[in-house]
Amino acid sequence: MIKEKITILDENGLHALPASRFVKLAEKFESNVTLKKGDIEVSGKSIMGILTLACEKGSTVILSCDGKDEKEALKALRKILEGQD
Amino acid sequence: MARERILKGIAVSNGIAQGTVFIYETKKVEVFQTPILTVYLKDETERFEKAVEKTKQDLLNIQKRINQEIGGNFAQFLDAQIMMLNDKEIIDAVKRRIIEEKKNAEYVYHKVINEYATRLGESKDQYFKERVADIWDVGSRVLRNLLGLTHSSIVDIPKNSIVVAHDISPSDAALLNPTNVLGIATEAGGRTSHTAITARALEIPAVLGIKGLMGKIANGENVIIDGDRGILIKNPSAGRLHSYRLAKKKDQELEKVLSPYCELPAKTRDGRHIDVSANIEFFSEYTHARRYGAEGIGLFRTEFLYLTRRGSPSEEEQFRVYNALAQKMKPHPVIIRTYDLGGDKVFPDYHEPNPFLGWRAIRVSLDEIDFFKMQLRAILRASVNRNVKIMFPMISTYEEIKRINLIFNEVKNELRAEKIDFDEEIQFGIMMETPSAAIMSPHLAQQVDFFSIGSNDLTQYTLGVDRGNEKISQLFDHFHPAVLHLIKTIVDSGHQSHIWVGLCGELAADPLAIPLLIGFGIDELSMNPASIPRAKMVIRSITIPACEEIAQGALGFRTALEVKRYLRRTIHKKFPGIEKVIK
Repeated sequence: MIKEKITILDENGLHALPASRFVKLAEKFESNVTLKKGDIEVSGKSIMGILTLACEKGSTVILSCDGKDEKEALKALRKILEGQD
Repeated sequence: MARERILKGIAVSNGIAQGTVFIYETKKVEVFQTPILTVYLKDETERFEKAVEKTKQDLLNIQKRINQEIGGNFAQFLDAQIMMLNDKEIIDAVKRRIIEEKKNAEYVYHKVINEYATRLGESKDQYFKERVADIWDVGSRVLRNLLGLTHSSIVDIPKNSIVVAHDISPSDAALLNPTNVLGIATEAGGRTSHTAITARALEIPAVLGIKGLMGKIANGENVIIDGDRGILIKNPSAGRLHSYRLAKKKDQELEKVLSPYCELPAKTRDGRHIDVSANIEFFSEYTHARRYGAEGIGLFRTEFLYLTRRGSPSEEEQFRVYNALAQKMKPHPVIIRTYDLGGDKVFPDYHEPNPFLGWRAIRVSLDEIDFFKMQLRAILRASVNRNVKIMFPMISTYEEIKRINLIFNEVKNELRAEKIDFDEEIQFGIMMETPSAAIMSPHLAQQVDFFSIGSNDLTQYTLGVDRGNEKISQLFDHFHPAVLHLIKTIVDSGHQSHIWVGLCGELAADPLAIPLLIGFGIDELSMNPASIPRAKMVIRSITIPACEEIAQGALGFRTALEVKRYLRRTIHKKFPGIEKVIK
């Protein structure tokens, strides 16, 4: 398993549209994907889960990927969180 | 007989409607807990899966309908709802818990959804808090399908109804039936809410944002919705009903007289053609523009792209809307104005004491270069249709034009480097709405391809009057000589530099003002689509020399009142017939 700490930079936080982009992309990977903010950890393949994290601008999340394609998954998903995609 | 009462709100969709109140409430679905026998647990999970599938079909149908009626990417918010519905975590959790707890699907699903909604509701961030409504919008659809309840009470609203609600969910607003729904009034919402957009697209008069509405009104009451003035009149008196009936009758008669003008060219009696185009806010309004005979879009406001989704739409999303509009309007021109947003809309934490004199429109764009460039790229890409022009709002200095030009050229170079096609001849125009721009117009005219006078803001800034402030709104008058002198200056400067000058604002649609503006030499008038037939009728009744004479005379007065009296008198004398269409 690999993980990385990421700060949400988008003005609007991780709102519905980037969250749905994130989920759509996460579903393409075999790896297990999770997002953790504070004590709460949710599946990166669940839009409801991600929304309930309520990641506003400046919040920090830990993105973890676990599985065969974890490296590719982390690299691609990180971009959405950082708002580069 | 109950007393008449007037409730104030925000006018979001024009027109007058009288009808019977139909209170539309989305009642909370009641859910009961029932134990399920082990042998039936598998059936129960299947029943749940079917309800999810049915809900998905419902949402897809709504999305299709919204796409047809409102167009563009407006149905995108439903994408997120469909994803919430299909969330595998939730579906798996519900199925698992049905089996573990041996309870009915409604009960388990409601519990699971409630856990998510509660957690989201605890967020301090307004955006995330408001998403709770989306969760319940989806959740109650599934629950209704599980319970075999029809969701769409809004579809079966009786004839002659005025729909009154706290708020109408976006997916329900899309289902409003314009044959039965005569008017809309809600407690929540404003000009850019989904309900407002739908009401305008369907041409249903609507007043939103009426405080305390639900406590003041009952089912079956007789009300008038005045979508022009933004009021709801409860228990209208006999006199009130009479005057609204007269006004409505007059409107209808006028419409009959004016409708043939939709198809006729806007040519003066002595043969000068005036471009008459439409101001629109939403993509779907192009249908109104065409129906009323607009010869182009004189002002496409792009703010809705930003406001309805609470954030900057991607270049691709913007391009799709601009491109679709340009294609629909071909061969007529489409003038796209870059965002005219207040800083508070772009950054919710940003506040200022005097927004109209503050960080807004081009000032925001020039400070947020990436955001600005994204819009410029999208507009340039849409210009491959060869009928797109670009316009910048609220110019007050020469330097601003220079800076816009630098950025605009940079974007063009980027596109060239990427081998992306655009119209190299795209016209570059500015809104003339500040006194400083008007006074400096001889210099500004040398830098641009056209001027478009924004008469509402020009009046506000020239007279220093906020017309939203009731205490002083009577000071707001387009016909104030100071405003007229500035308009004349702008037109003259434009023509000296051989560029065309248009006017978009309420003045463009005012039959009293049209002869005056044409007398000043205005080349284009852009207005609400519905006002176009009347403007064409006026234009077809006048001659240029007489208008020039009127314009000359109008500049000699000291007050707005004197100007208006003079205009009424002379227009009546010179062009008998126009007075019939003056409201």
